[in-house]
Amino acid sequence: MADRANFERDALPYAQQLYSAALRMTRNPADAEDVVQEAFLKAYRGYGTFKEGTNLKAWLYRILTNTYINRYRKEQRRPTEVELGELQDLYLFKRVGEVSGAERSTEETVLESMVDSDIKGALEALPEKFRMPVLLADVEGFSYKEIAEILDVPIGTVMSRLHRGRKALQKKLWSLAEQRGLTGPSQ
Amino acid sequence: MKAACDHAVDYLYQYIDEELTWSRRIRIRWHLKRCGNCVDAYGFEIKLKARLRECGKDEPSQELFDRIRALIEQEAAGSQEV
Repeated sequence: MADRANFERDALPYAQQLYSAALRMTRNPADAEDVVQEAFLKAYRGYGTFKEGTNLKAWLYRILTNTYINRYRKEQRRPTEVELGELQDLYLFKRVGEVSGAERSTEETVLESMVDSDIKGALEALPEKFRMPVLLADVEGFSYKEIAEILDVPIGTVMSRLHRGRKALQKKLWSLAEQRGLTGPSQ
Repeated sequence: MKAACDHAVDYLYQYIDEELTWSRRIRIRWHLKRCGNCVDAYGFEIKLKARLRECGKDEPSQELFDRIRALIEQEAAGSQEV
């Protein structure tokens, strides 16, 4: 089947990236593999409806996201509607600036002190509504328009959730830096 | 400079995400070239975004690829039978 060869050639190379995204969604390797596997099967079944020449990566992420949501929304019947409090713009940059004064190197220290698992952990700790836009924009590099299509929400909603999600992520990273005593000048 | 800084901060993420119209983009770039504090903030956000990008590199087991291929093969065989 020519379709199958095309699908394997064009879609399968995204498996690693989709797995990584699924891992940020489910926070668990076994669940992430299940979601990716199911998403690929759905994608293959729906491949006939995919228009050649349109954005295959975004199409796959849309299927992945829906698969994840269908699977896990069922489990937690009432998705907790978390609202993030109001946070200042450039949250982390400003906090670092406050403790370091003119000391530019503190910025580097704080960023360098963060290992990948810190950043992943902070991302995974965000409520789903905010985590998805941050994941799709910052990790996967999708445009606002693509994210709006993947998540099926208006572009303005993408922008406001992305903005607030990023600030909340920065707040988490700041708490980590504080816990490690990287932020006190007298430490 | 205050109003210009506020304006730049308001649009900083859209600037970084390359989501601004050309004219607004020029305005922000103009300000960043002239304001040390804003350009530092910009540099910081860019570095953080680059770190986030690294969160997309987890590797699944080889088995996952094999299972997906097997599922597709099964599906293809099934649909041919019908």
